[in-house]
Amino acid sequence: MQIERDPVSGYLTTGHEWNGIKELNTPVPRIVWFFIAVTHIWALGYWLLMPAFPLGSTYTKGLLNADDRAAVTESVRQAQAARSGWTDELMSKSYAEIQRDQALMAEVRRSGRALFGDNCVACHGENGQGAPGFPDLRRSSLWGATPEVIAETIRVGINSGHKDSRVSQMPAFGRDQMLQGSQIQEVLAYVLSLSGPAGPRPAEMVEAGKAVFAANCASCHGDDAKGKLDVGAPNLTTGYWRTGGSGASLHGVLWDGLRGQMPSWEGRLSPVDRKILTLYVVDLRERHQ
Amino acid sequence: MIGHLTRSERQLTLYMLLAVVITGLAMLVAGKDDSLGVHGALVMVVGIAAIFGVIAEFFEPEPTENRLDSYYDEPSRIGIVFAMAWAAFGLFVGAWVAWQLAYPSLNFEAGWTSFGRLRPVHTTSVIFGFGGNALIATSFYVMQRTSRARIPDQISPLFIVFGYNLFCLLAVSGYMIGVTQSKEYAEPEWYADIWLVIVWVTYFVVYMRTLLHRKEPHIYVANWYYLAFVLIVAVLHIVNNLAVPVSFSSAKSYTIFAGVQDAMTQWWYGHNAVAFFLTAGFLGMMYYFLPKRAGRPLYSYRMSIISFWGITFFYLWAGSHHLHYTALPQWVQTLGMTFSVMLLVPSWTAAANALLTLNGAWHRVRDDATLRFMMVAAVFYGLTTFEGSFLAIRAVNSLSHYTDWTVGHVHAGALGWVAMITFGSIYAAVPWLWKRENMYSPRLVEVHFWLALAGTIVYVLAMWNSGIIQGLMWRTYASDGTLAYSFLDSLVVMHPYYIARAVGGTLFLIGALVGCYNIWMTVRAPRQPMAGPEADYPEPRVPVGSVPQAAE
Amino acid sequence: MFKALFTFHYWLERKAIGFVVAILMVSSVGGIVEIAPLFTIHQTVEAAPDMRLYTPLELAGRNIYVREGCYACHSQMIRTLRDEVERYGPYSLAVESKYDHPMLWGSKRTGPDLARIGNKYSDEWHVLHFIDPRALVPPSVMPSYARLLNNSLRTDDLGNHLTAQRAVGVPYSDEMIANARADAFGQANPDSPLSEGVSKRYGEATTVRPFDGKPDHLTEMDAIVAYLQILGRLTEAPYKTAATTGE
Ligand code: HEC
Ligand code: HEC
Ligand code: HEC
Ligand code: HEM
Ligand code: HEM
Ligand SMILES: [Ca+2]
Ligand SMILES: [Ca+2]
Ligand SMILES: [Cu+2]
Repeated sequence: MQIERDPVSGYLTTGHEWNGIKELNTPVPRIVWFFIAVTHIWALGYWLLMPAFPLGSTYTKGLLNADDRAAVTESVRQAQAARSGWTDELMSKSYAEIQRDQALMAEVRRSGRALFGDNCVACHGENGQGAPGFPDLRRSSLWGATPEVIAETIRVGINSGHKDSRVSQMPAFGRDQMLQGSQIQEVLAYVLSLSGPAGPRPAEMVEAGKAVFAANCASCHGDDAKGKLDVGAPNLTTGYWRTGGSGASLHGVLWDGLRGQMPSWEGRLSPVDRKILTLYVVDLRERHQ
Repeated sequence: MIGHLTRSERQLTLYMLLAVVITGLAMLVAGKDDSLGVHGALVMVVGIAAIFGVIAEFFEPEPTENRLDSYYDEPSRIGIVFAMAWAAFGLFVGAWVAWQLAYPSLNFEAGWTSFGRLRPVHTTSVIFGFGGNALIATSFYVMQRTSRARIPDQISPLFIVFGYNLFCLLAVSGYMIGVTQSKEYAEPEWYADIWLVIVWVTYFVVYMRTLLHRKEPHIYVANWYYLAFVLIVAVLHIVNNLAVPVSFSSAKSYTIFAGVQDAMTQWWYGHNAVAFFLTAGFLGMMYYFLPKRAGRPLYSYRMSIISFWGITFFYLWAGSHHLHYTALPQWVQTLGMTFSVMLLVPSWTAAANALLTLNGAWHRVRDDATLRFMMVAAVFYGLTTFEGSFLAIRAVNSLSHYTDWTVGHVHAGALGWVAMITFGSIYAAVPWLWKRENMYSPRLVEVHFWLALAGTIVYVLAMWNSGIIQGLMWRTYASDGTLAYSFLDSLVVMHPYYIARAVGGTLFLIGALVGCYNIWMTVRAPRQPMAGPEADYPEPRVPVGSVPQAAE
Repeated sequence: MFKALFTFHYWLERKAIGFVVAILMVSSVGGIVEIAPLFTIHQTVEAAPDMRLYTPLELAGRNIYVREGCYACHSQMIRTLRDEVERYGPYSLAVESKYDHPMLWGSKRTGPDLARIGNKYSDEWHVLHFIDPRALVPPSVMPSYARLLNNSLRTDDLGNHLTAQRAVGVPYSDEMIANARADAFGQANPDSPLSEGVSKRYGEATTVRPFDGKPDHLTEMDAIVAYLQILGRLTEAPYKTAATTGE
């Protein structure tokens, strides 16, 4: 137990030793005290200005009356005001006018891409190309292809639960025994023949299918199978199939029916955002053609 | 492993193991339709295996009378072996999940390998398996030597080490079969939590008993930290894990707190798990092994006091920095932020105290990779705490939270500080514990050092980059005032960084495996007699020159 | 003054028990000051009279979310920041998780926030996405959870789950507890006679749908989709705050 002087640093030890370890009694460097003071003074100031300490059933509000919730509400409002220059223009102009306005369309493409990415890509794919079960927005037009129709589809959705939702359903002809297995094969052959060679299926099958179609399908898909926009029944002659298009998947549609769901975006996206997306989709279609 | 126990102690051990087997059986029967039953079976198997282990050594010769004259190091040796085993496993799983984020199909479509289940396997294995075992092993070692007293109990230290590893095993196997509370760093379910309380209370009692037997009037600073670690982790663990089980035949429980109160409790726990598991405990390690290895006196006793009490006081206020801008009331966020910044001063005081201790020993740092591990660890400790205080500032956190920046910060601390100080301390302790002249291969220590350093730097740089890019992309506005990028845009950009991180992690893993090999070879090397003034005995000293007992 | 402190410490560090007491005292202040008032300050959790409980099926789904560790990648907490509000919707309120034991706010967004995922996508999309995330979203790094579609949901202990929830403060009624199992079946099978009780007990707005597309097989997929579809929809309170982008 002896206080010694450390030759390297010149400081005294505390006189203790633990398993060979000694300690120097070096004073706390000034800079440590300095930073203790600085950080404490800073914290004190912060506590005075901001909500900080609890007091039973309330808390100190701070001199600045700061409130994150009010602040974010304000910043969202300000941001809306700041972009009102072009969003007001967007809202007041007609679709045709906007489409002619290259500057506005540039905004639509830019801001639409991120909006589309956060909300639509999950179903319709990065470029709107869709996936089996989810339509290719560049080619499909269940309810029509005008901006007004698309805007309405985005607002209310399809089979969505929104009170004005578009409602459509392809019946389950097989499961509900509205058609026999052979009839389904026949009408499938006919439907495939509308957009190309029906594969190995013989001509008489296609012929038989034509009759089945006229009796069961034409009411929705139209006599010419070009679809009916008012019931959301697709055109079957384009060669594009929202469900993938293999014989098996189409057979599945005929057997089990189809009731695609598109969510409603009213309440989730603002009218401006929805208008941007409408134009974005229209633009996708036009650029695709 | 039990050669140093007397016949009656061995018998007692058998009874205890029998109790474990019966508990396992009870869990198995009660929970036969539930995951609880799987864990019951696991407990039984472990218990039975241990019984066989004890029986195999049961009739070995009894220890000699003077076994109590030397330090009780068997638990430390076992703990170090466990620590390295968990390191290999936990780092492997870390590297695996890192590769999964780069190439998701690497989970091979099995349920137990999916990212959500393996991520806690990784965190628990490295923090509790690797870190915890290293802390227990070194704390036993350090507290005996700095107290010049042998641990007074014979069985309880073994109970602590094995019981603790049973906890880790239950935890990690639980996640893989879907048993988890989804509370970060507290994922184990209620029965594992209760088991840990039992183990931990025993740990505390053993620690205190040794300390009360000490022959040194003053308690050394390393013990302050170990003590804070043992105590505060106990309090945190108990409060944060309060829960009501669905039934005694179900593994599932519901935490008693909900929503915002649960969030605050969770991060009061989570942050202080960092503070007292990943920081205080390892500071204890550093305060012993660094001056010891450097052969220098600790730079400043007074700085130790400032940093210890600063850390003990401020850290407990800082947890709310994990909840900035959330539904947690703003006043709590203010406290979390300000205390995190004040916390920087004691943290840096601790780091500076360590680095200044090396004055006069820098040539050793240059030549000795073991000491260099410790030196780099102290540097990373300083860096991580600086970064932590910075991230705790609300404006910074608004960017960094939820991103890889947090992960970068975590691993600067975990790889650079926690793992490096542990490897350094283990390389120092292994020859002392197994009475060898030196490590099997100092060159391999050198190899490990450079792999670890390179791995850490690659990992951390990759995550800093990806995190900051991610945070910026999420909040970047185009000139027209709308968000510039979708979430998916940011996901695509992460890919190269995820690969880089996985590469860094793999380097780190290889380093650890090299370390395992080196330690294994050291243990297998023939034992050399250690004697002279360096001999390592508790008070009252045994006459100089006597050879350590084989039974020990 | 500092000298006195160091002298005091010089004394304290010789007392093992005293040191323990000192550590306990010094370390407990922060937690007490920050946690206890969260139970006593009433503004902490907003009032939301319309807040409804999780149905047994949704609770089971939540437990699957917990079991699979979705919190490792997904947060459920929209912060009061402009970009988060604009991307994900109104910021999260404390009341929204007042029945969440434990909360699942999360700390990492490897995937997007899910606090407002309810009603954002169709059930069918969720099922397909769980089966193969990369089929729908090619750059996704989310694991596939196809097996949930084949796993029958465990329902025999749902009553116990509700009882335990009640023990920690969620106001489930005796009737809800007694019918927990039936309600789980009913909610995923609109055509079954059991489905009526669900809306009776949990409110008209409760979604009763064949979530996984297989009404006659109650699977874990039903449960997790039912849970996701209710996220952000337990109460209308957050949508009444001004900082929303939708109207
Ligand atoms: C949950 C998946 C999902 C999401 C998300 C989604 N949609 Fe759809 N959408 C569909 C499905 C399915 C249909 C086809 C409905 C049907 O088959 O009757 C559809 C149809 C459409 C149509 C009509 C296509 C046609 O054939 O006439 C438009 C336009 C459209 N979506 C636009 C969008 C936009 C814009 C968004 C983003 C705001 C979006 N969708 C998000 C699933 C989705
Ligand atoms: C009650 C109206 C109705 C009748 C009758 C009907 N369909 Fe449909 N059909 C629809 C609707 C609506 C859709 C689109 C469903 C969707 O996308 O959600 C559809 C979709 C389809 C598709 C899928 C197209 C694709 O892109 O994958 C095929 C094929 C089809 N119908 C063929 C038929 C055939 C053949 C018949 C007669 C046997 C028939 N439909 C009768 C309404 C009908
Ligand atoms: C490895 C990380 C990871 C895990 C684990 C994970 N996810 Fe995801 N999740 C993602 C990513 C990345 C995305 C975004 C890409 C996509 O849509 O697949 C995502 C998207 C989602 C989405 C769509 C969100 C949106 O707004 O587009 C939902 C819902 C979802 N995940 C639910 C879950 C659930 C439930 C679990 C657990 C059973 C889970 N995830 C586990 C990474 C993960
Ligand atoms: C002064 C000291 C420190 C402060 C103030 C601090 C602060 C922080 C902050 C602000 C975060 C981010 C929280 C978020 O946004 O989610 C964080 C996360 C984390 N830090 Fe530190 N840190 C410190 C030191 C350390 C050290 C030394 C380690 C050692 C490994 C560490 C480990 C972690 C871990 C594991 C997380 C992740 C928590 C999670 O799961 O989200 N920290 N820390
Ligand atoms: C081989 C080296 C390692 C690799 C490759 C690795 C990899 C990973 C990965 C991929 C994650 C998930 C990050 C995410 O969700 O995006 C993670 C998380 C984590 N790891 Fe590691 N890790 C390694 C070593 C360690 C070590 C040694 C420790 C602790 C001592 C550690 C502690 C953690 C913690 C605490 C988290 C959670 C972070 C958070 O929630 O923010 N890791 N690690
Ligand atoms: Ca737990
Ligand atoms: Ca985390
Ligand atoms: Cu923290």
